[in-house]
Amino acid sequence: MFKDMKEILLEVLMSIGPIVLVIVLIQLFMISTPASMFWQFIAGSVLVTSGLFLFLVGVRISLLPIGEMIGSELVSRGSLLFLLLAAFVFGFVITVAEPDVRVLAHQVDIASRGAIESGLLITAVALGVGFFVSLAILRIILGIPIAYLLAGGYILVVIISFWTPPDFVAISFDAGGVTTGPMAVPFILALGVGATSVMGGKSGIADVFGLIGLASIGPVIGVMILGVIFG
Amino acid sequence: MSFSLLLKDFNHVLVEVLTAISPVLVLFFIFMVVFKLPKNMLLKLFKGVVFAFAGLALFLQGVKVGFLPAGMQMGSIFGSLPHRWVLIPLGFLLGFVATLAEPAVRILSNQVEKSSSGYIRSNIIMFTLCFAVGLFIALGMTRVVYGIPFYYIIIPGYLLAIILMFFSKPSFTAIAFDSGGVATGPMTVTFIMALAVGAADRIEGRDAIVDGFGLVALVALAPIIMVMLLGFLYPDQENNGDEADEMDQVSIDETENNQLNDRAGPGLPGFISNSVSGGRNQEEPDRPYNNNETAIGDDCGKEVSSNDRQDET
Repeated sequence: MFKDMKEILLEVLMSIGPIVLVIVLIQLFMISTPASMFWQFIAGSVLVTSGLFLFLVGVRISLLPIGEMIGSELVSRGSLLFLLLAAFVFGFVITVAEPDVRVLAHQVDIASRGAIESGLLITAVALGVGFFVSLAILRIILGIPIAYLLAGGYILVVIISFWTPPDFVAISFDAGGVTTGPMAVPFILALGVGATSVMGGKSGIADVFGLIGLASIGPVIGVMILGVIFG
Repeated sequence: MSFSLLLKDFNHVLVEVLTAISPVLVLFFIFMVVFKLPKNMLLKLFKGVVFAFAGLALFLQGVKVGFLPAGMQMGSIFGSLPHRWVLIPLGFLLGFVATLAEPAVRILSNQVEKSSSGYIRSNIIMFTLCFAVGLFIALGMTRVVYGIPFYYIIIPGYLLAIILMFFSKPSFTAIAFDSGGVATGPMTVTFIMALAVGAADRIEGRDAIVDGFGLVALVALAPIIMVMLLGFLYPDQENNGDEADEMDQVSIDETENNQLNDRAGPGLPGFISNSVSGGRNQEEPDRPYNNNETAIGDDCGKEVSSNDRQDET
């Protein structure tokens, strides 16, 4: 356990070290930052470092194992319909809970000059994620190559983008990125690992991954459609 | 700087993180009821959830009080310089190091190494992501400095991604699109957005909101393209890797079924204790997460042996 901790601490220092170093060097040599701001940045770096350490430890001892257990249990116990429904609900709920989605909703509210209120947007994005997560699970079970779904999804995105007001194009692509936050990522990844581990021989790495990628298309399409309707 | 400044609006951050973790908590409690795990196991899992919660809250707070203002300040100072092009190499450098500091990037890279039985090393994935994001932020900064419309970059970019997809190995395609979602985390988005908004604010004719927005989309696109390109460069050991993987799947499957048949009362203790402690108590270190440089061939063997461990239980 302690050996692990040391390893994680090393990882964290290697992750945070470079950005802190670069910013400190820039602040010292290229721009004259007021001392108070410099120390505030240093204090922020300490918070970030300790935070990342705790987070990675927590993810390893709980989030990953819980995700894997749930993934493998769902597949080995539940019926297909139940599995798809669970995936949908899971995608929906985790999106509604994601803080960044609310920030996005606020930005869209501004860009649409109040025409699209937050509640509507959050629902659209969450429905998009839910739909695509269950589609992703269905794909793994039926053995459909991931490229087909991704290509289909993104071609649809490109087509809709021609009718989407310019402001919404940028926002909708952002929507895809923000829905998968640091809490959801390890969980969804582990879910994929757990689910594929009990599916037998046909699944490889290509099945373990891809859930997050597919889940990111939903919001893009969701926001674009809202833009076409309200923009 | 006072201490109170550091804790400014910390309660908002706490609420945010608590909301984000709530689905996991709910699942955790359902789990408790359905699986009847041993108490010490539950305690360990719960402790982990609390750690993750506290850690993420501290991380977000640190980004907010430390990195956000620094990014804004740097952006506006460099944006008002006579030679704004410095924003372009600076964007590359900062994009690179910000991605390195992104929590989910580390987790994805480790999971890739673990799932590919060491065939795709975590460091390779991580540095590919860093390089990709750096490159695309430089591109985004070019856009901000010279005023190139957003679609000129994003639409061809996604078309390129779609085309690459048809030639790319399936495993790399899957990882690539996951990476897109992973790279856009709290550090990159907050810090780089602050940098771009700070710069756009100083440059005439740039809309801070629109220009800031587009950058996140570029960060999401960058790893998709680069990881697929990495797939082309990667030595063609795909088949070996997949076969090893299939063996894994089968052996886990059998273990699982045996356990399902065997167990009468308490659900799945073997599998759970294995995945929770993951061989940590054993002599062999938990390979998926350590970054030491073992040969690829060795790793395949080890992965099988790690499954044997499961059979023992």
